[in-house]
Amino acid sequence: MNDQYTAPRHSLSPNAVKYWRMDELISNLIAFIVIGVLFYLDWHFEWYEWIFWVLVAITAFFLIGIIWSIVSPPLTFKSWRYDLDKEFLYLQFGIWNHTQQLVPMTKIQAVSLTQGPLMRKFDLASLSVETMGSSHSIPALPKEIASELREQIGHFAKIKEVEQ
Amino acid sequence: MIANRRHHPASLLFKIGSVIRNLLFIFLILFVFQSGSNSTLVVYGRYAFIAYISWSFVTAILNWLTTTYALDDQGFYLRRGIFSKTEQSIPFSKVQNINRHTSFFHRILRLTSISFETGIAGDDASVKFGVTTKKEASQLEAIVQQQKDFINIENPTIVDGTEDFLVAEPTVFTKKTTDERILHFQPTRRDLLKASMTSFSFLLLIPLLGSVFYNVSDFFNLDERLESVGASILSSPWLIAIAVTILVVASFTFGIIHSFIKYGKYEISSDSQRIYIKKGIFSEASFSIAKERVQAIEITQTFTKRILGLAEVKLISAGSLSLATEDLNISSLYPFLPIKQAYALISELLPGYRIHENMQRLPRRSLWIRMLKPNWIWLIATAILFYFKPKFLGIEEAWWIASSILLVLIVISRVLDFLHTRYCLNEELIQLKNGGFTSTLFVTKREKIVEVEISQNRIQRAFGLSSLQTVTRARPIHTSYLEDVPDQLAVTFHHWYRGRSNEVQLESTE
Repeated sequence: MNDQYTAPRHSLSPNAVKYWRMDELISNLIAFIVIGVLFYLDWHFEWYEWIFWVLVAITAFFLIGIIWSIVSPPLTFKSWRYDLDKEFLYLQFGIWNHTQQLVPMTKIQAVSLTQGPLMRKFDLASLSVETMGSSHSIPALPKEIASELREQIGHFAKIKEVEQ
Repeated sequence: MIANRRHHPASLLFKIGSVIRNLLFIFLILFVFQSGSNSTLVVYGRYAFIAYISWSFVTAILNWLTTTYALDDQGFYLRRGIFSKTEQSIPFSKVQNINRHTSFFHRILRLTSISFETGIAGDDASVKFGVTTKKEASQLEAIVQQQKDFINIENPTIVDGTEDFLVAEPTVFTKKTTDERILHFQPTRRDLLKASMTSFSFLLLIPLLGSVFYNVSDFFNLDERLESVGASILSSPWLIAIAVTILVVASFTFGIIHSFIKYGKYEISSDSQRIYIKKGIFSEASFSIAKERVQAIEITQTFTKRILGLAEVKLISAGSLSLATEDLNISSLYPFLPIKQAYALISELLPGYRIHENMQRLPRRSLWIRMLKPNWIWLIATAILFYFKPKFLGIEEAWWIASSILLVLIVISRVLDFLHTRYCLNEELIQLKNGGFTSTLFVTKREKIVEVEISQNRIQRAFGLSSLQTVTRARPIHTSYLEDVPDQLAVTFHHWYRGRSNEVQLESTE
């Protein structure tokens, strides 16, 4: 279903992969500590046996999650494309579920740029666009490109900028 | 146009009336049923009750005194608040549709209520005049509508800041002062009889009797009397037959009366600018919407309606369609229109909408992919049935019988859905039809579509199929799906949607 004629051209920042991995690493570490503490408490206070098995199940899911978080960032990066002209914003993404979204500029009501502390470290920013019905975001763009895009979309959509 | 003024004084009366109605039951308990009681709960309850009711009256009066409205040639200016004041201005250009409702009490006092619904998000989405004179309601309606027409003439693009406005034939603007309403539809007796059968309203008598019984038995001891009556009826087969006949006849009579009251005085009319729907016998409701504000049309057929060749046509508007608690549901043109008449009516009312009855079907492989899809409801239900293995009517194997019945129903529904799914892209119109037991045909113009999505999962990719999704404004937003269409259509759909910009540009430069 990919149409060469209209396929969106731009990809995300190459730093995105590193950023996602780092982000996952931090949240995985926190989850790891929580699970470890739970196991310790289970052993120390001799909780019911079924709780142990529930914890084991959670750990199994957690391990699958870790593997996925290592494998997925390059795939997500590869799947992401965006493009815009004066009429449409065009997004394409999804590893399992390949999705294309086409949003007319005139229907965009707000654009905003978000940057967390970790994103700042990698010089990244995410851009989110709100329409009448939903909101869409481009997850990891180089900072300058993101603010440039915000200006551009704002201009095309003839709207005032939204703070953060 | 209208200087700052308060709402009609009778609105205070309605407010106090509703306070009294809500508190009547508590009043009866405290002062009538427990009148002799001296328990602390009742005694303090009485004081609390008096305090609460006086406070309610005082706030009602203060609210009425401080709530005002004004209109100029641009919009409404509303003020309210006793201590913290709120001022609000709503331009007429934001009004999507106008709802009017005359309840039984309004009718006694020769008053009415009117609300102007906007597409603004949140609680302040409508400008409501809960109680007002008929004359004033008509005046308000005229001001709002004229204003809209005026803006339309001046510059078609400012209507709501986007290209939403659809330019009808230019002649419309000059014609508008002279043009008259055309009546398009009024149900005949036959239509109403059909309606009473398809809506199953004859089944409503039983729950109604039940609730009357429970309410009355609070005060009187009905149980014993009914038991003796029941016993004497059951003693003779003749009496049983007579009782059943009476019940059936009563049910049907009730059903017919119910649908005559509900759908009897239905009226669909239009002029060159707007569509008007009026209904109701005891309490009247009316609805009006500018033609270019109609976001989409939805034609729904339930299983029984399909057998009888009837359909329900709904206009989708970005404004709210019902009035407060009243279940009016007046966006519906008429719930029991013969399907041919429905299509004709749509193109009469909305000149841009010409529904093609010849729509394309899905390829055979879409059916296979739908059959392959796991059905979570069935899986979970079967797991639960397997675990508990409940006995039903003493049958040991009830669990797998129930599970297979469910599976058969699901498969039938999927096959029906496959058979019902049709689509048609016809210039600027899109028609999407789907649904299993109840089918829905969704029709809109591409300029009304706020965004589109094309998606494809791994399995669909193997089959060369994709899914489409459109979003249109409504309250809340309306999303329409078309699943498992050939890839080629997805590409066509994409180009078709991109084509909207040409259309839109042409309009704004016109």
